[in-house]
Amino acid sequence: MSNLETILSRDGYLLAIEIRLFWFVALVYGICLILYLIHLITKKAGPGRLGTNILWLAVITHAGLLILRTFEGQRAPFQTLYESLSWFAWSASVTYLYVEKRWKDIFLPGILVTALSMGACLYALLARSPAVEPLSPPLQSYWFEWHVALAFLSYAVFVSSCSIEIVYLVIKPSVKKGLKLEYGLNTGNLETFHRQSFRLALFGFPLLTFGIFSGAAWANDAWGRYWGWDPKETWSLITWTVFAIYLHSMSIPKWNRLPASIFNILGFICMLMTFIGVNWLARLLGIPSLHLYAM
Amino acid sequence: MTILKKIKSFNWHGIRENKLYKRFASLKTSCVFLGILVGFYILGTIFPQGASFDEYATLSLGRWMSFVIFFDLLNIFNTPGFLIIAFLLFINLTICAIERFFMLWSQRKTVSEDLQFTPAFTFPLDINPHLESAEESVQEIFKKELRFKEKTCADPGLNIMEKGWSYRWLTWIYHAAIFLCFFGFFLTYLFSYEDEITLYPGEAAAIKPAAISRWNKSRGSKPQGLDFKLMLDEFITEYNQFPKLDYPADKLSRLAVGMGWKDPKYILKDESYFPKDWKSRLKVIKGKQTVLEKTIEVNDPLSYQGITFYQAAYKQNLKIQLDDNPILFETETGKDLIIPGIDGMLKFGTIKTGTLFKKDGSTEKIKPWTEATLIKKDGNGKTETEKLGKLEQDGGLYINDKRISLREFKEASILSYRYDPGVTLLWWSGIIALLAMSLRIFGAWHRIIYRIEEKDGAPYLLLKIKSKGLMADEEKLIKRVQRSLINMTDPINLDTPV
Ligand code: HEM
Repeated sequence: MSNLETILSRDGYLLAIEIRLFWFVALVYGICLILYLIHLITKKAGPGRLGTNILWLAVITHAGLLILRTFEGQRAPFQTLYESLSWFAWSASVTYLYVEKRWKDIFLPGILVTALSMGACLYALLARSPAVEPLSPPLQSYWFEWHVALAFLSYAVFVSSCSIEIVYLVIKPSVKKGLKLEYGLNTGNLETFHRQSFRLALFGFPLLTFGIFSGAAWANDAWGRYWGWDPKETWSLITWTVFAIYLHSMSIPKWNRLPASIFNILGFICMLMTFIGVNWLARLLGIPSLHLYAM
Repeated sequence: MTILKKIKSFNWHGIRENKLYKRFASLKTSCVFLGILVGFYILGTIFPQGASFDEYATLSLGRWMSFVIFFDLLNIFNTPGFLIIAFLLFINLTICAIERFFMLWSQRKTVSEDLQFTPAFTFPLDINPHLESAEESVQEIFKKELRFKEKTCADPGLNIMEKGWSYRWLTWIYHAAIFLCFFGFFLTYLFSYEDEITLYPGEAAAIKPAAISRWNKSRGSKPQGLDFKLMLDEFITEYNQFPKLDYPADKLSRLAVGMGWKDPKYILKDESYFPKDWKSRLKVIKGKQTVLEKTIEVNDPLSYQGITFYQAAYKQNLKIQLDDNPILFETETGKDLIIPGIDGMLKFGTIKTGTLFKKDGSTEKIKPWTEATLIKKDGNGKTETEKLGKLEQDGGLYINDKRISLREFKEASILSYRYDPGVTLLWWSGIIALLAMSLRIFGAWHRIIYRIEEKDGAPYLLLKIKSKGLMADEEKLIKRVQRSLINMTDPINLDTPV
């Protein structure tokens, strides 16, 4: 076998391992989702706790997967959409596990988090190419890795923030009425639980700001202009603005309850639009986008 | 001086009492403006910006034409509506920044508590029965062990100490930086212009922009040529060898790969060329002198006298010979070429030339080649495309009994250039905004407000804590205070620091 053939067969072999591991990780996220749903239906803490334990297994394996991909590509593993979806799924679950450690027997936010993590993995596996691609000249920038890594990390953080917000909105009326729901939430811990949602959005905001700033700096070097109202750029600005409204509304006495919660959820929806929806919108409306190569 | 006097004697107070001014100083107003801007942004992604009305009309969704024309929806970010809202937000931000600056400035030395002092924690200090010394010892603990800094307090009987960067100033700084960003956008909007230049190797080209900034246009000025020339010494292309991945597109087969029933494979084919780099070796020539030399590539432009030149694209011209005909046919890659005697139109893909970086780490000089296709139209106007194959330099391809060969080609570098005085301001204000925002949000700031009171002959520490920043851990701080107070076992001797 020639040297080149050896390299190609080694790369093919590594990719085969990676893809199988990725399917396994997606499956484990799916199992966690089912366990969290069982927790929702049965109101028992056991399945939730098991779901969290298994989620640890998923993120540890997924961390291995990211390391393997780094080794395969000899570069940071977030440069194609296939890769960033994987990075997003991992960071969303890790963020969730990190905040979940602060609570006792509260598992409901895990439903949205694991559903999205699994969805992102399946989307990557079923619809994107797993090839380790060389970077085209416009993508060869020191901004690129940081731009993608931090923007997607902010998305992951917003997922946890929104899932807490939704659980809070759904559970609050019953807790306030004094009903015993057995999801680990009661009058004593409801507000502290909810506060995590604000703290997470706060954490994600500078990351998203950096994502937009680095994107603009990079576009300025690569395309000769820092802003072009490209659909992807514009949706990231929409997400940023909606989160800015959310953070502001938390300082406005009459707005810091239900309106703020709604802004947080809207911010999350805008984030999904930026991430995935904009591609669909651009195709649907036939709008050209410079970012289409990353779709 | 008289102006200064006039400014000072102006009834600022009256303005600040004005209802409209108050509305503009409010956070709610910024949320409303930001919300309206979101509406504009969304419209800007639904309607293709920069498209012509004709282009839009041909799109399947080009239904509401009159609506689109009336609201200028294909150019929404230049409409008066959008610009006015952006300007109002700018005014809002300006007023807020000024108001908050004066508020913070007035509190820089003496801080006061806005609300009544309602302590959240009470610690008995009975280890030290003397109120006087307890006061000092507690202060020593906060200063030396917990590293708080004393503030002059406006309320008598209360002590205020702080630790960490003032979150209020940091918030102010990043808002002020956002304000500067607005200025940057404004400079771009008014003074920037951009154009393109095509350079052939060895040619010193004068730069005559056809575009003009909004500002100069409004003053009726005409575009001005620049006082230097640009010369392309060499244009370089490089390719990576990119093996194609044999991987199924349909979902079931992909699942089969996941289950281990199939294996993905990397395959090398002739066309496994992936662009690695396009580079232009440039010289800036002023008068007869070369004043600057740089090899630019995508993501690494050249700047001179405020103008930045970017590697945008390249152009390839080629000459094709038919059989032994001494007259060569000239064309460009990607364009149709009709050669008398050949049925259909010829089209040539990008000429691969330069260096190939191979997977095994070696490099290879590429013998220039291009992909040739023949496009034919049948009687019904239907096009048929036939791939003719790889046409190497000086090599040939047969179309029926006719032979075409690639005789010559030349490349030109296409550079876009731009003058934008807003970029530097945006760059610096963006960095400041990010830094201040990160310090404010990720950092830790604490303020403790305390008083020592005597109850039944024993001193008590009454404490309230305010924290900001994600790193600020109030519980941890309370534990440290508790620990430090417990450690303060001996009656305190004021001469020995705690
Ligand atoms: C236009 C007028 C504006 C006013 C009056 C204003 C005022 C304020 C105030 C009073 C706060 C709370 C400060 C605190 O808790 O320390 C705040 C927070 C914030 N503002 Fe603004 N702001 C304005 C515009 C903007 C804009 C345009 C943005 C960017 C989108 C922005 C981003 C933020 C963020 C992210 C926070 C929350 C984080 C923090 O508390 O520091 N603001 N703003």
